[in-house]
Amino acid sequence: MVNAAKVLQDLRASAERKPDVVVRLGKPLIDSGAVLKLDADAWLVYEQVAIAALDIGDDGLALKCIQALETKFPGSARVRRLQGMQLEAVGKLTEAGQIYKAILEEDETNVLASKRQVMLLRAMGLPSEAIAALVKYLDINYTDFEGWLQLADLYLEELMYPQAAFCMEEVLMLQPQNHIFHLKYAEILYTQDNFQLALKQFCRVVELCRDHVRGLYGMKMCASRLLKAAPSKDATATSQEDLEAMDLLATERLIALYGAPGAAAESSKVAATKWIETQ
Amino acid sequence: MSRQAMLLDPAIRDWVLIPIMIVMVLVGVVRHQVTVLLNGTPKKADLKSARETKALQRCGLLRAHGVHIPEQAFHGRKAFLSEAFEKGTYLKEPNAGNKPRGNVMQDPAYVETMMDGMKKNMMNIIPQTVIMGWINFFFSGFVLVRLPFPLTVRFKGMLQRGVETHDMDVSWVSSLSWYFLNLFGLQSVFTLILGSGHAADAMRDMQAMSTMGMGNAAGPNLSATGQPQDMHKIFLAEKENLDLTEHEWGLENVETRLLVKYGKKPASVLLDQKKDKIARLAGRQGSGASSPAAVAAPSAAAAAASRKKGRRQV
Repeated sequence: MVNAAKVLQDLRASAERKPDVVVRLGKPLIDSGAVLKLDADAWLVYEQVAIAALDIGDDGLALKCIQALETKFPGSARVRRLQGMQLEAVGKLTEAGQIYKAILEEDETNVLASKRQVMLLRAMGLPSEAIAALVKYLDINYTDFEGWLQLADLYLEELMYPQAAFCMEEVLMLQPQNHIFHLKYAEILYTQDNFQLALKQFCRVVELCRDHVRGLYGMKMCASRLLKAAPSKDATATSQEDLEAMDLLATERLIALYGAPGAAAESSKVAATKWIETQ
Repeated sequence: MSRQAMLLDPAIRDWVLIPIMIVMVLVGVVRHQVTVLLNGTPKKADLKSARETKALQRCGLLRAHGVHIPEQAFHGRKAFLSEAFEKGTYLKEPNAGNKPRGNVMQDPAYVETMMDGMKKNMMNIIPQTVIMGWINFFFSGFVLVRLPFPLTVRFKGMLQRGVETHDMDVSWVSSLSWYFLNLFGLQSVFTLILGSGHAADAMRDMQAMSTMGMGNAAGPNLSATGQPQDMHKIFLAEKENLDLTEHEWGLENVETRLLVKYGKKPASVLLDQKKDKIARLAGRQGSGASSPAAVAAPSAAAAAASRKKGRRQV
């Protein structure tokens, strides 16, 4: 039991979202009432388990947790947000929206409620309203890189690539060390036909994460596109010689990666080799 | 120095040493409870002041991490922030502009912050004064404990406050010093009783006093002296900093870096590129200076030499 509490605490600290683990560990704690032995931490566990239960669709458990929290902290904004999430989970979106609105009327800086409101608008199928709300939120909570990522996704769904690229640039400034974000930015640039910049970003991905397959594919595609096009006269552009070297490098690494014993199924190996040959 | 043979009455232990400690612990606990009572509900944060602070942060981030985004993206943001700061878009009251500030004492938010600080200070000063007076009145000149280890004479002032004896061994501790040892040493005891984040600790209050009102997002923006700041001036200073920031893209030579990483090119290529760049920069600056040839010539020669060297290594 002590171990379960410890694991839950670690998960809270690292903000990992592992609902299955949380419910598996937390449910016995709550059902047996052992959670109350944790004193002040008990309520954090209740909140954590409630959100995890909503994630995996265990509405009964979620409701139980939220009710326990409601009796302990009546009228708290944090508990009311959970109630809103529960309503969202059962599909009562309008009621949930009213709850969030009430919280924001009392305290306009409530980050949790404003985030939920954005996601609610998205769930209701109103992307432009969601974008407007999220832009307003990010204007104040500028450092929330997950918010920027979300906004980039929303723009991508609306096929607004320049805006999405802008959001990804913000994410890159906030989280420059994460190669996944560089990859996403590179792919948006590629979609915008900006191969020169995309190539550099793909290179950055492979630089940050050695032999990143998706990054290598991107490199290869950009390099071969640029080689086919007329040589650029821009002085800052990658030289023809470098382009060929990049193309060669990506091909070589991809073949080596697919060729490693047990790395990929035979069929995908064949498909990859075929693709590389046609480029 | 041999240990001085001095016997202390066990009654001193029972009626002075232990009571002082117990009283200090109890006062700490009471202080904690009263502070919790006085604090009441936390102040509601103001959306606009949050926005004001975050805008500054945004500018700082752009200056620090602008290397990660392409040139056009950087310049777009720079232009936007410069203009916004100049116009005061992010100010709490954008139209207040250069209006002279009224009396700060009439600003309710400011007065409230001041009162909070006062309350906290009183909570700190009163109990400490009372305990110190009590000890001074009843137990001045008492010797309470002997430390089980020898110390140098320098510690005399710390351990034997209130006892003016030159020849007494330093390891004897006077009543007033025992009080100070408790004042600074009971923190972990309080953590044990009250949990972390308690308000019983005198040390924390003293730190809070020196940085009063800082880091408090809820209140108005105050400087270290407790005066409200003119945010527009700060914004303008930040704009100046931003204008001075040059963009240097981190991905300029990423292809070469990658090729070097995979061993397709020798590492010396990177060094050559760096030298070339420095030479180019020097050349650019030199052409602006009075004697361009003098500056540009040696650097060009150096670049040529380094290029030659690089090739030899290939």
